Amino acid sequence: MNVIEINNLTKRYGKSRGIEDISFQVAEGEIFGFIGPNGSGKSTTIRTLLNFLYPTRGTAKILGKDMVKDSTYIRQHIGYLPSEVHYYDDMKVNELFQFSSGFYPGDTSQHAMQLATRLQLDTTRKIEDLSFGNKKKVGIIQALMHEPKLLILDEPTAGLDPLMQSIFFDLLKELRQKGTTIFFSSHYLSEVQKLCDRVGIIKEGRMIKIENMEDMRAKQFKKVHLHFHEKFENTFRIEGVLQEHITDTSYEFIYNGHTRDLIEQLRSVPFYDVTIEEPSLDEVFMHYYEKEEGDQHGL
Amino acid sequence: MVFKREWKRAQKALWIWVIALGGMSFLIMSIYPQFAENKDQLQELMKLYPEAMLKAFNIDQLGFDSALGFYAIEGYLFVTLFGSIYAALLAGGILVKEESDRTIEFLLAKPISRTQVVLQKAAAVALVLLVFNVILTIINYIGFGIADDNQVDLKTFFMISLAPFLLHLTFAALSFGISAFFRKQRLVTSISLAIVLFSYFMSIVSSISDNLAGLKWITPFEYVSSGYIIEHVAIKPAYLIIMVLVIVCSVAIAIWKYHKKDLIV
Repeated sequence: MNVIEINNLTKRYGKSRGIEDISFQVAEGEIFGFIGPNGSGKSTTIRTLLNFLYPTRGTAKILGKDMVKDSTYIRQHIGYLPSEVHYYDDMKVNELFQFSSGFYPGDTSQHAMQLATRLQLDTTRKIEDLSFGNKKKVGIIQALMHEPKLLILDEPTAGLDPLMQSIFFDLLKELRQKGTTIFFSSHYLSEVQKLCDRVGIIKEGRMIKIENMEDMRAKQFKKVHLHFHEKFENTFRIEGVLQEHITDTSYEFIYNGHTRDLIEQLRSVPFYDVTIEEPSLDEVFMHYYEKEEGDQHGL
Repeated sequence: MVFKREWKRAQKALWIWVIALGGMSFLIMSIYPQFAENKDQLQELMKLYPEAMLKAFNIDQLGFDSALGFYAIEGYLFVTLFGSIYAALLAGGILVKEESDRTIEFLLAKPISRTQVVLQKAAAVALVLLVFNVILTIINYIGFGIADDNQVDLKTFFMISLAPFLLHLTFAALSFGISAFFRKQRLVTSISLAIVLFSYFMSIVSSISDNLAGLKWITPFEYVSSGYIIEHVAIKPAYLIIMVLVIVCSVAIAIWKYHKKDLIV
């Protein structure tokens, strides 16, 4: 069963770019990463799914229900963490949890308190006095406290220190084991790499690629750094170079292809030293963005 | 939940306004006995005032010769004008504040419909204004007791206390309806204040000049004019209908607009 099913979703508004013709599905129990630079339409997609924004065109179903018509029902089973957390300044943390709890059946504030202990959050403090990272923790807890079937997290780790990030990821892994579906956006690709089953790449309001993480990892990419004694002159050509960076005495690039072919090609290059390493996912993804531009220019 | 929260959140401002306006009313009534002693002198003094001014403050109709008339000229002004400002600020902010402070993204991620949010907030405003008026009425009643040995006519007193409540609801509903069209609280605050003050200005202008009497229809202050109420012991039915219509329509418009609005944060 698909928990999220988006069909040709388009949202245009004001001067913001919005999103164009986005379609994808997220299956039950899946962790789906939503990647793109700032302003690419990640938050617009999420806010349309939650019916803060009305779609210009297209439809979406969440948990099998229409996102516009059945919005109130859907939100009963969703936990949402906005990219920027803003709460009522006059409330203390535990008051906010109680307020939040009142919208759901049963007493969920107990669970909130357990989560607070785990994330080391002092619940007796006023929200306005909290640091950005601590506000984020409040956001995480209020998204998780009612044990939703679907978690929608908009840049969840921004502002969390590395220790908290790892506690947070552990939480998400536990939730996945319980069958929770998780949809989260990020522009840090390393965190997607750690967690996701699939990843969708969005750019300028359009979904340009949906990749399985297994396939991603299987594809061979290498980061190659060549050093030269003399001033580097680009007289040779290597097949499979994706992105290059040239300085006076060095040549750095991402290589896509079989490593053996790379070595073969490097034999004729008069380098002084070479390092070949695994590229980060960020560097690999840059390739998608650049390729997309290339396609537009008819290459 | 939203209703409960808004009711709690409104308490501080409510009591500040009650103390300020109630205190003012009470103070005014407590000087009435001195006024009453020098009634004849006062009557002479009033003759010296320009007619326009007497009309503007309904002094021509009411006179200072009863505690009720005295209150209708002095205290009533505070309750209607400042009370309306409070009502407009309260109602104008309650809905748009969520967008202005960007808390709407938290609230509407909870299983509550937009219509429920609007209705519960409107209900909270109505309750706050009801409590506000009931307490002011009690304070006034005590004030009258001190000011005048003769019992005030209860029916007139009831009408003169009910009218400001309706007026406050009218201005509150107007601001509430308008606020649904905006995203920034500051803008709504300015507009709400402007409406109240402009209406008040219109009511003065319309009572001074007979040529401008037509303006009476566009200012809610005229709908609850103390002169008419004390004379007839009633609110003019046409005005009553207009106020009820304004209240119902404004809330309906707020629901309609809020329902189809893109909530951009």
